Amino acid sequence: MQADRSLAGTPTEVSGAPAVTMTGITKLFTGVKALDDVSLTLLPGRVHALMGENGAGKSTLIKILAGVYRPDAGQISITGKLADLRSPRDALRQGIKVVFQEIALIPEFTVAENIFLEGYPTDRLGSIRWDRIRADAAALFARIGFDVNPDDKVGNLPVSKQQMVEIARALAHEARVVVMDEPTSSLTPAEVAKLFDVIRRLTALGMAVVYVSHKLDEIFEIADTVTVLRDGRHISTKPVSEHTHETLITDMIGRRIDNLFPRARGAAGEQVILDVEELSTEKLKGISFKARAGEVLGFFGLMGAGRTELAKAIVGFDPITTGRITIGGQLLQPHDTRTGKALGIGLLTEDRKSEGLMLDLSVTHNMSLASLERFSKSGFVSEPSEKSAVQAFVDRFRVKTPGLTRQIKFLSGGNQQKVLLARWLMRGLKVIVVDEPTRGIDVGAKSEIFALIDELASDGLAVILMTSEMPELLGLSDRIAVLAEGRLTAIMDRADATQEKILDAAIA
Amino acid sequence: MTELSRSAPQVSPKLGWLTSQTQLVLLVTLFALCLLISLAAPQFYSVDNIIAILRQSSLVLIVAVGMTMLLIAAEVDLSVGASLAFAGVVAMDVTNKTSSVTLGVMAGILFGGGVGLINGLIVTKLRINSLIATIAMMMMLQGSVYLYSREAVQNKHLQPLFTWLSTGYVGPLPLPVVVTAVLFAIGYVVLRHTTLGRYVYAVGANEKAARLSGIRPARIKMLVFIVTGLLTGLVGVILCSLMNAGQPTAGRGFELTVVAAVILGGTSLTGGRGTLLGTLLGVLILKVIDNGIIILRWDQDLQMVIPGFIIVIASYLDLLRKKSNAS
Repeated sequence: MQADRSLAGTPTEVSGAPAVTMTGITKLFTGVKALDDVSLTLLPGRVHALMGENGAGKSTLIKILAGVYRPDAGQISITGKLADLRSPRDALRQGIKVVFQEIALIPEFTVAENIFLEGYPTDRLGSIRWDRIRADAAALFARIGFDVNPDDKVGNLPVSKQQMVEIARALAHEARVVVMDEPTSSLTPAEVAKLFDVIRRLTALGMAVVYVSHKLDEIFEIADTVTVLRDGRHISTKPVSEHTHETLITDMIGRRIDNLFPRARGAAGEQVILDVEELSTEKLKGISFKARAGEVLGFFGLMGAGRTELAKAIVGFDPITTGRITIGGQLLQPHDTRTGKALGIGLLTEDRKSEGLMLDLSVTHNMSLASLERFSKSGFVSEPSEKSAVQAFVDRFRVKTPGLTRQIKFLSGGNQQKVLLARWLMRGLKVIVVDEPTRGIDVGAKSEIFALIDELASDGLAVILMTSEMPELLGLSDRIAVLAEGRLTAIMDRADATQEKILDAAIA
Repeated sequence: MTELSRSAPQVSPKLGWLTSQTQLVLLVTLFALCLLISLAAPQFYSVDNIIAILRQSSLVLIVAVGMTMLLIAAEVDLSVGASLAFAGVVAMDVTNKTSSVTLGVMAGILFGGGVGLINGLIVTKLRINSLIATIAMMMMLQGSVYLYSREAVQNKHLQPLFTWLSTGYVGPLPLPVVVTAVLFAIGYVVLRHTTLGRYVYAVGANEKAARLSGIRPARIKMLVFIVTGLLTGLVGVILCSLMNAGQPTAGRGFELTVVAAVILGGTSLTGGRGTLLGTLLGVLILKVIDNGIIILRWDQDLQMVIPGFIIVIASYLDLLRKKSNAS
């Protein structure tokens, strides 16, 4: 019924009266406290960042606000009135819109159809007014400055555009509170800037915005207030101006990290282990580079530059059109991961869920997958030796798991990533390609992953790092290569690299 | 332990128990069924009846061993019913023509294996969804068996060995039951203790992850299709021996019984999950129900209705269990 009242509607006054107050929220999952007496006050016209490591209780809190879960104790009031949010529908009616991380659009529908999914305008006969849906969607995009065609089928759009549609959908209906759960995880820098513009417009209209992110820089840029949760408890709520990177990290993980990028390794060796010559695929054009034992070679590139394509081609996962890939002096058979593995190259994928993990299987089975031959005689797996090897890596990498037979889906992102890294190290490699190794991983675990990457290089592996995170690139690499639209546009020593040089090459 | 509780959401002990004990739930169901039927019909527990149940279970179970592996590898083969009928026709025909039971049996088994090979090629090379590919194969086989032979191929060779395949005994046990036990044991060991078994699970759980780990999913799938085909051929031969004729219409609906039993046993249609022990219990439950309906003199059409009902319930319980794990 409110379908045509959009963000141009009546602005709430930017006054001191809170839009939403959550007090003493406690939520138990099968006896474990996911949230313990947490309070949160959202003021109209303000961006409130919610931070914490994975498992800190952020998503539980958001889901309670969205009416997905009901709290076991505590109260929620909306504009001063006590509210009982029994379902997402209730929350929507009260003006609370949540943009979840996972995209929940219907791929077969057009952008416009998706945006107005919750209530299509109809004429007197009850038939849907498609013309108006299209016009409204176009108007909405024009207003918030997103470049999306309302007639495109959602399934044909890249993920970043889908996310923009998802955000636009939240704004199509009048909202008092907009919650964004890691909205930038698949956006390009330009799109992030646009999103921030939109957020500023929303707050100018008096909406309260809850912003969940792992990216500290974004928090400092956009948020007014930061609330940090840890282990389901409220740790601090402060204006962002009173925080520094260090204080925020300390609040989140409960200890200080002195150096996010520890470097224990010495200088890289001279021996070339990976030699890529004139590699071309459908997407890549004539890429040549060498990687030496003991070095981290970082590849930077904007979205769509071809990082993941390069990663997949050099490990033999994707076919190539021309070029040669040599590992330890031996030629890799393209498009065949089996010979790739035999020569000693492996990929830690950027997409853990769909290309890395076997979610229903145990930690043991996930970790030993690439090195089963090592534990087997004439095809029979020796479970004791497999188990002891897995245990050794669980100890060495400090993987937090209740047991080796635990299904891997119950582990946190950081611990899953350690298991996948161990999958390759157990096998023993010469070259490891790590593609966005810290995507979706919280700060505490990030520094551990960085330390592991450093350790790999000091063990004599060549590490090929694909990343879109500038601090990660600068903090880890010995040399930096830059991709733009499938071409290698620059390759430089870390000592000569600056952000400007790198970005210049990335945009070229 | 406090550190651990942070990293992984806890599952309540009760539900955790249920997850790891799918088979126990099936076992209890099986015993409950046996108890209920025997209360109403005491003859249920006669040796003859138990042997009959085992004999009926054996044919389904042989194919179900292959089907379980296929489902774990996230594929399915719906052509097994049509293929076993054709394999029986071929086996009888070859035996008639060569007077050699060995050649006839080989021909039947290899026919099944050949069908499996073609299914595997269609699925892995042409990348056609196995549900569609094998339904198409079923149609082709059901039609072409009549091109091969207009009517049932009768036993003209009169070799006692051929009949012995289905009616013979090893000690107190019928030969098909013994063959099934051996094949089941092999399948169990392969799935549980070999690299091949691990790869079958890996390919079904996440094909891309498997390929990135240096496994060739297409080969694993081919192999499992061929194994299922060979097992189907064998069952075709045994069934042909039992009926003493190669019937083109034999095995209609057989594929559904097999898939139903495998799913009832807790194997997931989406791949990566399942056990042969579960399949064994699934087959036994369906066959005990069949048997109960007969000895209780209920309407035989219930033999389709009740299993259908049970599968809905079992799948729903499975879903509940997954949900309680996911929170």
